[in-house]
Amino acid sequence: MSHSESHSESHSENPKSAYDFWERLYVPALIKGMAITTRHFLRNLWSERDDNTEVLERKTQSLMATVEYPEQRVPYPTGYRGKHRLVPREDGKPRCVACYMCATACPSQCIYIEAGEYAPSDTNTASRVIEKYPTVFMVDVLRCIVCGLCVEACPKDALRMDTSVHTSPELERKAFLYAKERLLAGEPTQHPNDPWRHRKSSDEPLHAHKEAHTRIGEDP
Amino acid sequence: MNDSSPKTPSPPTPVPPPAPPKTPPPPKNPGMVTLSVDDKEVVVKPGTSLIVAAHQVGVKIPHYCYHPRLSLSANCRMCMVEASNAPKLVPACQATVAEGQVVKTDTPKVKAQQRAVLEFLLLNHPVDCPICDQAGECKLQDYYVRYDFKPSRLWGPKVQKNKRKVLGPTVLMDQERCILCTRCVRFMKEVAKEPQLGIFGRGSHERVDVFPGAKLDSNYSGNLVELCPVGALLNRDFRFKARAWFLSAAPSVCTACSRGCNVFADYMNQDCFRFRPRENAAVNQSWMCDVGRKSYRWAGENRALHTLSHGKPVSVDEALNRAASLLQKAQGSIGVLASPAASNEDLMAALAFARDVLKVNMVFVSGRPDGAADKLLMMADKNPNRKGLEYIALALGIELKPFETFTPSAFQAVWVLGGEMPESDIVMAARLKTVPTVVQAQHASEWAHECQVLLPVASHLETECSMTQHEGLLQRCRQAFPPKGDSAPHWQWVMRLANLLGARMDWSSAKDVFSTIAPRIPEFANFDWEGQAPSKQSRPGLPLPAASDGRPPAYRQFACPSAKGCSP
Repeated sequence: MSHSESHSESHSENPKSAYDFWERLYVPALIKGMAITTRHFLRNLWSERDDNTEVLERKTQSLMATVEYPEQRVPYPTGYRGKHRLVPREDGKPRCVACYMCATACPSQCIYIEAGEYAPSDTNTASRVIEKYPTVFMVDVLRCIVCGLCVEACPKDALRMDTSVHTSPELERKAFLYAKERLLAGEPTQHPNDPWRHRKSSDEPLHAHKEAHTRIGEDP
Repeated sequence: MNDSSPKTPSPPTPVPPPAPPKTPPPPKNPGMVTLSVDDKEVVVKPGTSLIVAAHQVGVKIPHYCYHPRLSLSANCRMCMVEASNAPKLVPACQATVAEGQVVKTDTPKVKAQQRAVLEFLLLNHPVDCPICDQAGECKLQDYYVRYDFKPSRLWGPKVQKNKRKVLGPTVLMDQERCILCTRCVRFMKEVAKEPQLGIFGRGSHERVDVFPGAKLDSNYSGNLVELCPVGALLNRDFRFKARAWFLSAAPSVCTACSRGCNVFADYMNQDCFRFRPRENAAVNQSWMCDVGRKSYRWAGENRALHTLSHGKPVSVDEALNRAASLLQKAQGSIGVLASPAASNEDLMAALAFARDVLKVNMVFVSGRPDGAADKLLMMADKNPNRKGLEYIALALGIELKPFETFTPSAFQAVWVLGGEMPESDIVMAARLKTVPTVVQAQHASEWAHECQVLLPVASHLETECSMTQHEGLLQRCRQAFPPKGDSAPHWQWVMRLANLLGARMDWSSAKDVFSTIAPRIPEFANFDWEGQAPSKQSRPGLPLPAASDGRPPAYRQFACPSAKGCSP
């Protein structure tokens, strides 16, 4: 009772504080709003959109914001983290050595890996040298928070998020589990320090000079 | 002394008597040696090494080749410290303590030495941590981060050796990663007494290897994997299976024989990945055999996970009702087979049930058949708890009969506790075919599958339990993860059967079972069930529900690094 009284008192103290006279008329505000809507309408009808994502880099005076998706698309900024990809080697196999660094770094625990071993008799030099590879590499993109820590953690440049493709819609949860085959995409990549460029297999290479008995002045 | 110059003539003074020979001051603590390590006073027995003395006051000296259970080698030079009685740095593992000695372990000289040693060890180390199983528990990694942490100054190729040399059935070697500490060579020579490893070559081409044409086939070769401070010696079974930092460790006991070696069961989610020996000077020191090491698989392979009736899955209640009515009908003529591979708590509950509810006064002992034994650890009796079964049966007044005298046809029903049998599956199936049988078994063997009722039993990694090894020593197994499927420990099935048969058995945990029945058993009365082998984890993890919709499980759900057991 007393509470409601005090409430009504506070209203009666200053009833005009919320809106002034023109606002309470309502019509001027309506006209003002219609003017804004009309301005946007005319701008969208006649002007063109500046594609530069950075506002400061826009050359035109266009303030048009609407994108006619999907005919028009906003270009992704550089460094945009898109769908994950497993970087292939020259022979099409993933560069990944299943070290679990990405799975360890992942804060949402969305990467699942099972490791396997290439046979010592594998026909592929790179496979013989790096020994280990992922038999299962799965990214649960529903759980992924697209933070890119997995890419940072990868010591082999085997995982990237440079596809500029965002996660596509799917009809069931299971389809959001991206398996190795789906992730393995893009240009093959080589680096000068890739171990298979320095040896032919995990066996001991022949050391010609090893245990050779030579005297000073003699040819080995 | 220089003040007394001979220039001023003085009357001849008598020559002072020669000073008595300098004797060391009497020891501060008679019979002991007192020294200071990093300004902390240490009192140790004469002959103690500096590394042990420093450890007593919590000063950790880094080391590779030193191992308390192996002979000294002092070749890694990582433990060099500054001692007041030596002009140069001394290896702390080899130098013994001296009275009044002042030892410093963190002077610039020592730090420079540690950095130099690490740089030297890493000179030809391939640094292939991404594909190395040791990563995460590697002393080269740990010490590099702690004592060196400088980029390599090596400019040029490293010496290449064999990276995938199969040394034997258990061990695979990466010779490039080896730092030549010779722990493995010394272990094979001194502990296993099968000197199968040696150091070959010279200089940078030196490597650990087996002798030409020989194999590393010792039953103790698996210990080399734990001994190796780096990733040079690897377990072929564990290779590439899991990363060390995802695994949690539950203190447990190996159940492959009656020795009862203490182990850490390393697990992730609901799977055990390996056993590692856990230090126990009274039982297994720091070692375990390869047979036991591989027995971690028994807890996961070929498991019975659903209640079955005649090989068809039925609900748990249905199976229990069938089992109860079957035992009710045969009251007074029930043959009981108890396995000495079951835990103390299970056997206590089972024998109490057999005596009080089934009114049975003799129990036939099943269990795994005897196998090979060796001089070090492995026992011929492959059942981890035979002694416990004997103690419990004696205390409860139950007569134990050997398996050979068991004739199923003499009984109207058979109740089998534990599926481990001395006979083969085919023989067991033929023998138990004629009699209605209730089986509580961990593994879905063929004969157990065809029985009237099969109640799946949890492994010793999935329950809190205790085992009695062959010398009568009681040891605890801690629960690593929750039981798989419908499986439950024996005592739970026994309790539910007893309650269906009209008896009152009311236990809420394995500890309840132990504390109810153990006071009647003199050997168990003083056992600290709660306190022994404490787990570093407060409780085992719970299964992840998200995995049920077909999505893969998350790694860190069970394993957090702080829960990992300390390495031996």
